[in-house]
Amino acid sequence: MQKLEDRALVANAQAGDRAAFEELVRRYDRDVLRLALNLMKRPEDARDVYQEAFLKVYRNLHRFRFECSFYTWLYRIVTNVCLDQLRRRQSRPEDQAPEMNSSGREEGATDFFERQKENRPTQDPERSLMGKEISRHIASAMEQLSPRERVVFEMKHYQGLKLRAIGDALGTTEETVKNSLFRATRKLRNQLGELR
Amino acid sequence: MSGGEARKGFAPAECDEVASLLVFYACDETNAAENARIAEHLLACDACGEQLRQERAFLDALNATVEPADRLDSSGVLLAQCRSELSEKLDDMHAPRAQEHWSAFGWMRRWMALRPAWSGAALIVFGVLLGTQIVPWLQTANDVAGPAVNVLAAPKLSDEQLSKMAIAGIRVSPAQDSPMENVQLQLNAEQPLVLSGNVDDSEVRRVLTYVVENGERFDPGVRLDCLDALKSRTADQPVRQALLTAARKDQNAAVRMKALESLRDTANDSAVRQTMLQILEHDPNPGVRIEAVNFLVRSLDSLGLENSETVVVEPEMAQIVRVLNDLEQRDPSRFVRLRSAAALRQIGSRDLQ
Repeated sequence: MQKLEDRALVANAQAGDRAAFEELVRRYDRDVLRLALNLMKRPEDARDVYQEAFLKVYRNLHRFRFECSFYTWLYRIVTNVCLDQLRRRQSRPEDQAPEMNSSGREEGATDFFERQKENRPTQDPERSLMGKEISRHIASAMEQLSPRERVVFEMKHYQGLKLRAIGDALGTTEETVKNSLFRATRKLRNQLGELR
Repeated sequence: MSGGEARKGFAPAECDEVASLLVFYACDETNAAENARIAEHLLACDACGEQLRQERAFLDALNATVEPADRLDSSGVLLAQCRSELSEKLDDMHAPRAQEHWSAFGWMRRWMALRPAWSGAALIVFGVLLGTQIVPWLQTANDVAGPAVNVLAAPKLSDEQLSKMAIAGIRVSPAQDSPMENVQLQLNAEQPLVLSGNVDDSEVRRVLTYVVENGERFDPGVRLDCLDALKSRTADQPVRQALLTAARKDQNAAVRMKALESLRDTANDSAVRQTMLQILEHDPNPGVRIEAVNFLVRSLDSLGLENSETVVVEPEMAQIVRVLNDLEQRDPSRFVRLRSAAALRQIGSRDLQ
């Protein structure tokens, strides 16, 4: 049903229906922004990824031939944009993501988003504290991964995608994704050895 | 990785193989065959069991972490902002581009507005160039409608060509190596051509004569130039006839006067004198009549010269006297009347002699 609806929305958007396109955006942009935030670690970078990705989708929608799902096609675009951004960031050391402080926040980050209250009801204070500590270590360890390894790890463990879907999104084979995930896991576990 | 000493009954190669699958086994990315094999192996291998426990602990730790996305946009404000920005960008893409009204030399106007002194200087230089170089060049280029063919009076224009031609320009200039003036005629016939030479060239003279004789088809200025060119060739009968025709019939008084002036040296020709009498009787322009009276006076003056060829027979003289009397009595121009009276006195004194 979802796929059929997607198909109809895409067809309408391809015919110039702006409302159909916006409906597609609303359907997937939460996941897109989540992926971008997890990978880029900075709201402004994630915002750039969001804009660039959806504008690319909008400009190239007429080229979409329904050979895969819209979701897969969208993720392919988003991950490519993220990979480009991460590679650019890697080539500019001054553009690295800022270090997290002990409370799990970026150094000097005091903007509106940072000040918002953590209000997930499932977390008790102790668990939350431990989670934040682990988050800090993981965030630091993630910086050691290659852009592709980060994307694969992120899509698998935070987005919950299957390896085949990740391969489709990245335009590569499941085997290649497996290798990336294996390397990423090993690197992270080595970095986080003390947590074992 | 897996501790080799803890393995029971498994070759190290099999442990390594299973251990490499445990990462995916822990996150449910192994197939049924792999699952069965791993499960069987784990029953007997403590080391791999320990590794699986570590993999799961790692995933549990990961699950316990706060995702950056949750921390960075826990309230959804960033998402709302992103949606708003995207919507604005889509609006911008859909909005028709505000087209700047195109105006010729708009860039030049902007440049000039910012540099008034330079603009003034540039305009002065442009004006000087326009006046001294470009305008004369354009006039030369536009005198004829197409590429001009320079013809040295060689091709003979047919009567039909003559009847259809138009004169775009005529230039009479002194020749360096000849007493005759050079004449250059720019004709617009079937094919534009330039006819150059002097009035001794029959073709040039023929065209000039045609223009004078058929004055109504050509510009008065052109006719005056043609008369000017032909005045030295009044001995030629066709030329003289054309001049007489122009003096008698041309619509323009200046052309008629110029024709009379050109006939100055033909006073001994009876036909010319007859034409003068006709002009005196019928031409409405006093200036033309005065020129005709002067011509007659000069003609009569020459009667007294020893080497004069002028012969005026008695019937003709009687006709002249009658016309002059008539002018003296009735011509509206006082000068014409006075000149007529003077001419009559001159005739009377000649008769007395």
